[in-house]
Amino acid sequence: MKDPYEILGVARTASSEDIQKAYRRLAKKLHPDLNPGNKEAEERFKEVSLANDILSDAEKRKKFDSGEIDAFGAERPRQSYYKDYAAQAGAGHPYENPSGFADFADADDIFAELFRRQAQQSRRRRGADLHYRLTIEFLDATKGASKRLTLPDGGTLDVTIPPGIQDGQILRLRGKGGPSGGEGEAGDALVEISITPHRFFTRVGDDIHLELPVTLAEAFLGSHVKVPTPTGPVMLKVPKGSNTGSILRLKGKGVPRQGGHGDELVKLKVMLPTEPHPELETFLSNWTAGKSYDPRRDMQP
Amino acid sequence: MTINKLDFLYRAQLDQETLEIWIEEEWLVPSEAAGEPEFSEADLARAKLIRDLKHDLGVNDEGVGIILNLLDQMHSLRKAMADMLPSKRGRSDLS
Repeated sequence: MKDPYEILGVARTASSEDIQKAYRRLAKKLHPDLNPGNKEAEERFKEVSLANDILSDAEKRKKFDSGEIDAFGAERPRQSYYKDYAAQAGAGHPYENPSGFADFADADDIFAELFRRQAQQSRRRRGADLHYRLTIEFLDATKGASKRLTLPDGGTLDVTIPPGIQDGQILRLRGKGGPSGGEGEAGDALVEISITPHRFFTRVGDDIHLELPVTLAEAFLGSHVKVPTPTGPVMLKVPKGSNTGSILRLKGKGVPRQGGHGDELVKLKVMLPTEPHPELETFLSNWTAGKSYDPRRDMQP
Repeated sequence: MTINKLDFLYRAQLDQETLEIWIEEEWLVPSEAAGEPEFSEADLARAKLIRDLKHDLGVNDEGVGIILNLLDQMHSLRKAMADMLPSKRGRSDLS
């Protein structure tokens, strides 16, 4: 370590005012927070503040002058400065201020885009985002709806559910969160949607699956049956010879999506009569051709 | 890691009244939890910077506000620059 008088550039006889003046002059030039990109200034400032630490304290200065302590007798200079935190702060840092370059973002090129992104990231004194949960019915989720959320503080929040929303999706309501402490914008309300299951519809992607019970006659002979869809019942043609597991597609009766709708897939389930049926019994006992049909033939070991 | 008000006053070597003025002036913008201010390490380093400006560099109160405003702009600019320069990207992503 060099001589502290030399570092501050003062004479050994300098008064404490001279020392303070010399330190100030150097600190104004070298303070790391005023030179965030200059490593050399930071190193020099450390020396300068060590030197000042000794010479500005009459006791320490006397000890140094008499050789009792060397230049290392000073306190360790501090290791981090504000610049170190400002450089690593993420989005939402309260001190960010894009005023110095916001105008660059108006231009129409690749750099402007980067400046825009940077400007958006900095949200000076923005209010907090508030999280809510909202449970909605299956059909409200597929068709869209308008819901009112009652907040813990007694207020209400109107939430517009877009058609086709997914379970677990989060709606962001701009500016409906906590107010800003200062001049910044309010935070957002983040509403997580959960959807209660439907009695007979299930959703797979943008399609709606439905298991539709049909009678033996409706399936075997073919028929027209009424099928529920999210937008109301429609008539479905069951082709002759349909069976349990046959899937019929109702085009465009599924969940709304970009540029159209998904489909509703109707899976038939043949239901035998629950009541005793002597006529059918007699028929089946005498129906010899039916006995040669083995639905389990693929299951032979 | 957040720092509560008492710790902050101690570590920044500040008295309560001074801290209130600094917050009022928006030199410091602590976050808030349950009605109490909460400070970060960045807030602490910033408080030390304000102290340096006032005590070591002889900047008056008007000057401190101006310097902080310009410093905040400079840091935002530095970050915007760092994001644009691929070689600096690693540094700015540190957090």
